[in-house]
Amino acid sequence: MNLHKYEKIWLIFGIGSLAVFLAVIGFAAFWKGTHPQSHIETIDPQNVEAHEAFKPENLGLREVADGKYTVNIIASAFNYDLGKDENGNRVDTIRVPRGSTVLFQVTTPDVVHGFQIAGTNVNMMVEPGHISRYETVMKNNGEFTIVCNEYCGIGHHLMFGKVEVYD
Amino acid sequence: MKNKNPKPQHTKSNESTIHFKGTFIAVMLLGVIMVASWFGVYALFLSR
Ligand SMILES: [Cu+2]
Repeated sequence: MNLHKYEKIWLIFGIGSLAVFLAVIGFAAFWKGTHPQSHIETIDPQNVEAHEAFKPENLGLREVADGKYTVNIIASAFNYDLGKDENGNRVDTIRVPRGSTVLFQVTTPDVVHGFQIAGTNVNMMVEPGHISRYETVMKNNGEFTIVCNEYCGIGHHLMFGKVEVYD
Repeated sequence: MKNKNPKPQHTKSNESTIHFKGTFIAVMLLGVIMVASWFGVYALFLSR
């Protein structure tokens, strides 16, 4: 087979980039722990409160260890339930110090919602019957908006929350 | 378009003299843009 010189260069470039991309995927999956947000873990959408993480008193932010937090959220049309504060008022902002590891656990009793914290890597689909999880390190401080990025109905644009990362 | 004096089409004997430089530059440019934008997005992912 007689290949033109340029064609050989192009083939090496193409196969080389394929190898590099595969190596990066391997690095992300095995060293950085990147994996799909839904773990095929199911939950009864009609009775999400039966799950330990989604009991009304367990919703919202909890410190599980030093610098490690868990945030349990029920997304429903058209609201993110981030729990209640000590006065019984609904929480609309999650506040965590910079550099903390935060695990977001989200589920929904109704329809498919999105859960994106704009400006961070947290971006997942929330499906009824499933628990979506994403653990991230809040590296940058600032205010980040939680938005629903899956059209879920007439009040979709009213569905948002806030995450504040302070120094 | 009418060409009164059509140039001879490439034949087997002169195939090696076809100029691929433009094609090569265009293809390499596209490849570099794709790889660079991919790494740009990955860098954004790692920085956030
Ligand atoms: Cu929505």
